[in-house]
Amino acid sequence: MLQQLSCGFGALAFTALTAHKAAAAETNPLAPKPTHFAARAKRVIFLCMRGGPSHVDTFDYKPRLVADDGKPGRRPGSVWLAPKGKFAQHGKGGLWISDLFPNVAKHADALCLLRSMHTEVPAHPQAFLRLHTGTAQFVRPSLGAWTLYGLGTANENLPGFVTLTPPSGFGGAQNYGSAFLPAIHQGTRVGADNRPVAQAEVKNLKAPSAAEAQRLELELIQSFNREALRLDPRNAQIEGVIQSYELAFRMQSQMPAVMDLTKETAATQQLYGIGDRATEDFGRKCLLARRMVEAGVRFVEICHGNWDHHFNLSTTLRNSCTSVDKPIAGLLADLAARGMLKDTLVIWGGEFGRTPYAQGSDGRDHNHKGFTLWMAGGGVKGGHSHGATDEFGHEAVQDKVSIHDLHATILHLLGLDHERLTFPHAGRDFRLTDVHGEVLKTILA
Amino acid sequence: MTGPATKWFLGLLALVGFVFATQSAELTPAQRDFFEKKIRPVLVEKCLKCHSAEAGKTKGGLSLDSREGARKGGDTGPAIVPGDARQSLLLSAIHYTKKDLQMPPEKEGGKLPDAVIKDFEQWISMGAPDPREAAVSAKKEWDYEKAKAHWAYQPPKKSAVPTVKDTAWPRAEMDHFLLAALEAKNLKPVADAGKMALLRRVHFDLIGLPPTFAEINAFLDDTSAESVAHVVDRLLASTQFGERWGRHWLDVARYAESTGKDVNVAYPHAWRYRDYTIAAFNTDKPFDQFIREQVAGDLLPAKDDRQRAEQLVATGFLALGPKSVGEQNPRQYLLDVADEQIDALSQAVLATTIACARCHDHKFDPITQREYYALAGIFTSTETRHGTAANVQNRHPGELNELPAAAGQPTLARKVTTQELAKMEMRLIEQRQALRDMFTQNMQNRGKADPANDSQRQLFDRLRIITETGRLEAQLKLYDATGVEKALAMGAAELPARREAFGNLRRVGQGRFGGLRPPEFSAIADCALYTRGDVGKPTEKVPRGFPAAVLPVASGIAPAIPPGTSGRLQLAQSLTDARNPLTARVYVNRVWGWLFGRGLVDSPDNFGNSGALPSNQALLDTLSVRFMENGWSTKKLIREIVLSRAYQLSTAHDEKVHTADPDNALHWRMTPRRLDAECIRDAMLALSGELDLKAPLASAIARVGDVNIGGPRFFGLGEAQVNTDVRHRSVYLPVARDLTPDALEAFDFPESSLVTGLRETTSVASQALFMMNSEFTRERAAQFGLRLQRWQPQSEGADAQWRERISVAYWLAFARSPTDAELLTAQTFFDKFAALPAVRPAGRFAAAPAGAAVWTSFCRALMASAEFRHLN
Repeated sequence: MLQQLSCGFGALAFTALTAHKAAAAETNPLAPKPTHFAARAKRVIFLCMRGGPSHVDTFDYKPRLVADDGKPGRRPGSVWLAPKGKFAQHGKGGLWISDLFPNVAKHADALCLLRSMHTEVPAHPQAFLRLHTGTAQFVRPSLGAWTLYGLGTANENLPGFVTLTPPSGFGGAQNYGSAFLPAIHQGTRVGADNRPVAQAEVKNLKAPSAAEAQRLELELIQSFNREALRLDPRNAQIEGVIQSYELAFRMQSQMPAVMDLTKETAATQQLYGIGDRATEDFGRKCLLARRMVEAGVRFVEICHGNWDHHFNLSTTLRNSCTSVDKPIAGLLADLAARGMLKDTLVIWGGEFGRTPYAQGSDGRDHNHKGFTLWMAGGGVKGGHSHGATDEFGHEAVQDKVSIHDLHATILHLLGLDHERLTFPHAGRDFRLTDVHGEVLKTILA
Repeated sequence: MTGPATKWFLGLLALVGFVFATQSAELTPAQRDFFEKKIRPVLVEKCLKCHSAEAGKTKGGLSLDSREGARKGGDTGPAIVPGDARQSLLLSAIHYTKKDLQMPPEKEGGKLPDAVIKDFEQWISMGAPDPREAAVSAKKEWDYEKAKAHWAYQPPKKSAVPTVKDTAWPRAEMDHFLLAALEAKNLKPVADAGKMALLRRVHFDLIGLPPTFAEINAFLDDTSAESVAHVVDRLLASTQFGERWGRHWLDVARYAESTGKDVNVAYPHAWRYRDYTIAAFNTDKPFDQFIREQVAGDLLPAKDDRQRAEQLVATGFLALGPKSVGEQNPRQYLLDVADEQIDALSQAVLATTIACARCHDHKFDPITQREYYALAGIFTSTETRHGTAANVQNRHPGELNELPAAAGQPTLARKVTTQELAKMEMRLIEQRQALRDMFTQNMQNRGKADPANDSQRQLFDRLRIITETGRLEAQLKLYDATGVEKALAMGAAELPARREAFGNLRRVGQGRFGGLRPPEFSAIADCALYTRGDVGKPTEKVPRGFPAAVLPVASGIAPAIPPGTSGRLQLAQSLTDARNPLTARVYVNRVWGWLFGRGLVDSPDNFGNSGALPSNQALLDTLSVRFMENGWSTKKLIREIVLSRAYQLSTAHDEKVHTADPDNALHWRMTPRRLDAECIRDAMLALSGELDLKAPLASAIARVGDVNIGGPRFFGLGEAQVNTDVRHRSVYLPVARDLTPDALEAFDFPESSLVTGLRETTSVASQALFMMNSEFTRERAAQFGLRLQRWQPQSEGADAQWRERISVAYWLAFARSPTDAELLTAQTFFDKFAALPAVRPAGRFAAAPAGAAVWTSFCRALMASAEFRHLN
């Protein structure tokens, strides 16, 4: 339905542009591209838990931590702190999940837990950037931008990569930036961190004049731009401007339609926890994400904070978990019911985990040495657990997974070889995974 | 970046690939000796800077730092084929036999001596015995001496002006350098820019505004040979110059009006630093003095109160960085603040990432961890007066510097009565006592139960009192004894020379967590070296001092730090000593980048071993030395560059030269550039005739005062407040971290937590939507349209008058007249628009004259066009 609305100004002007640039006739940079091999997933929903969610309280069960509660911990002067949730086994796979995630636990057989994640530094901005771009040291394209670059979009009339309520700090726009990739692969921000997504809108989507008048105006703008490009044919910036108007015009009609949750039934809204204050916001984000991927957005990231539970862990962690538990379960159920879970990769996790020992009396500090991230759908084994941390959950020790490995695996699931997905820049071919990254073959379904 | 030589090399290596198995046989002592004495030193000296896997730089895919790397070669094939001189690309390169593959390059000293080349021939014919294992090489210690040999740490020297074939072309001395480099590659620059393109270019580059109609006419009327110079001198003398160039420096100084990071509280007094910067550029304050004032303005002599005030404000540079004011550990906080100061200062002034050495020796550059802490001691001996008010989240409120009353510095002129003052003081005493009582009570109860289980009631009480005391403290600091607002500024101050007697201990601000500075940071003192940067692991104290390679001490640049002083004054001196190898170069390169779109060094904030190499070092160095000789005058430097032939080239495309130098590193044309966000917004206001050139007093953030950015209504500063409808120049818009005004955000306003030498320029849909649909654009377009409709035409007849108006629009927007084809396009647009069903303008536009809609639309299209936001 949405795709059929696409012939408007966009199609017209694009035709004109490509007619003008004969050589570039097939160079819509967002056109769907063939994958390197058969894809298991066609799209990604990344539930990004900003702040570093605790793994030892949620998805990484450490009985030793219960036993040693209060005894001297690994950091001098610290004590081990028992998990805040009670763990039990769930599903046929028998995954240990704490009761902080009662609803997600019901989908245990869809989950693939990566319990041996590790990253470079226990500082938010660096780790957050690393999670999103593979490095905090250099400005590099984000995972979503690489995905869009590798696959193209499934709906030209929407941004191919949307990021819902990302933080303005923590590396800010770099986390959805395109760096040296063509700017068109950059994520489109909807809303802002810590603001209810219900109030979020893509800025400036409403046209100030009647549709026909605006169309006329846009044709004029693009005629100016084509003339500028004619005079400087290799100027990528002008090409970028032209493309930006194409996309903008199409977004203007389609984004509001996709973002209109009133089109969903009450039952669906309920499934996502919409209507309940605790889950309303994240529920809306999840439902928006489903509507977006359904409409053809390739990569949707939902950022949700704040999981930086240094203090009052007992209450704040529970609140955070509650706010996302039902919506995530709803998303998984809804995707499954629509037959989309099998080729939609859902990823849940943050930039790092938290220490198994206490910070203060009721808090946990950043822990980059070991944490859990999980995937569901999109060609990963369900009810599966990969890797392990030590007996306290402090450091990844078995089948360790680096951020590069994670990225390599995500690209692999999307049908892309992380070593072949390259872009020439500054005299060499760059990859998302630099010179690292191993695909976690054992988690593939 | 990649020259033809490396490209060729890349291609060839890729084809040939790995041909020779790694030799594992033991080397004879003679072989080993030959390699160590004759080969390794040359490789290290001449090759490894660009071809070393370990150093992270393998140009052409080639790493010569291991046996395997040399044999495997780069992307074009094996550099060394043992026993086969003909097949060894390395030999061919050092022989300079092929034009496009000559190594080492000129800038590394050029061709090797014949004897050395013979050594390599002999070595390869011996079978290229090489004891180096990749694994060993990878573990090799970072070599301070080698890192120090990097070009940027050698003092700049003037070079003789190169001779060029086309002697008629150069206009300025720098043109010789650029042309010589082009001629060396058999390339030619394009033609000069048209007069009007040039006028638009210098206007935006120097003052950030398009030329007005009068200015265009004056320029057209000036037929003298110095017409461009006249414009340039006029622009350099205008107050708008400082507003444009000051903003460049504010990017570098990571200027912002809030702490950013975790809590993001406002800096209500930061704007003084902004105004100081703008004034410094307008008065052409010598750059060395500008830097000295920012580092140690509070310690410099001042001839009067005015100068003293100015210098105090300058130290705001040190105070306005991002801060985690929620940090619990005061030691962590203080060391993080010092680290941020080192990071910002070293990148801004030296393009060196000294902060990398906080946890270990620098990975690439000659800066040891010990040197880092020597420098850190200077900053931990300094009090950072950032002046935020304590609140529930802000654990680190700060003091402010009070400017001398006689200096007559502007304030918002707020007033309270003396009764109100007395009331506030009384209330503060009461609330502090209440807080102390609560604390005592808690201490008494300690151990009786979990200390965390304060009653909810008590918790809320405490939070309320903390907020109130914080607010009262900030208020009381703001007024003098008569209730008149004082002029306060962010900045630096020396800690006391000795720890004060107990009871007199200086507080780090007050309020909730205030209390005392940790003893080791409460007086001027050396800083300990912290193992791996861990604040919990202090080791021995390191005497305060400077990193020897970037602020050389041996040559006497850095004076000894007198006891009882922080050393900031000496730091300021050594940063701006003419013998400092970096400061002038780095700044000249920044200025170059702001005028050409990229620096001669393409990494303007990193001149270190991991940065880019200069595309024309002789030019950079010559300009830098002359910059210092010219009294560090920014205006003279800009004038020289802008009046050069290279700057005045057109942006015309030339396919052949483009193929040879796609990045325009050699300056064969002027690089087409996107305007900065401020220029776009200001130009839109200029076109609409609404731009208010008067500098506003203070900043929106100063008016709101001590709040959290993005905080709840009435307690915070939100999107609405940073987007208020003001018509001042963009440099005066509020700059809270993480909350940028929309008009700036849309067009790549820099991340204000980082030193930004050159901004990114993207082209994304959000920009298009901003132009098409935003209220801001609509207003500007409507006003621009009205301006055109009200234009008093000189021509007669409706048609001619319409053409005249279109023409005026083109002149104002693009500084050129429309072509016939464009007039036709415009005509078609107006005709088609007229054929649309009539739209009644609504709301505030209802009173618009007939035809306003089409003019609005046309004007918006002009402002939305690529040409409007680009400089040709």
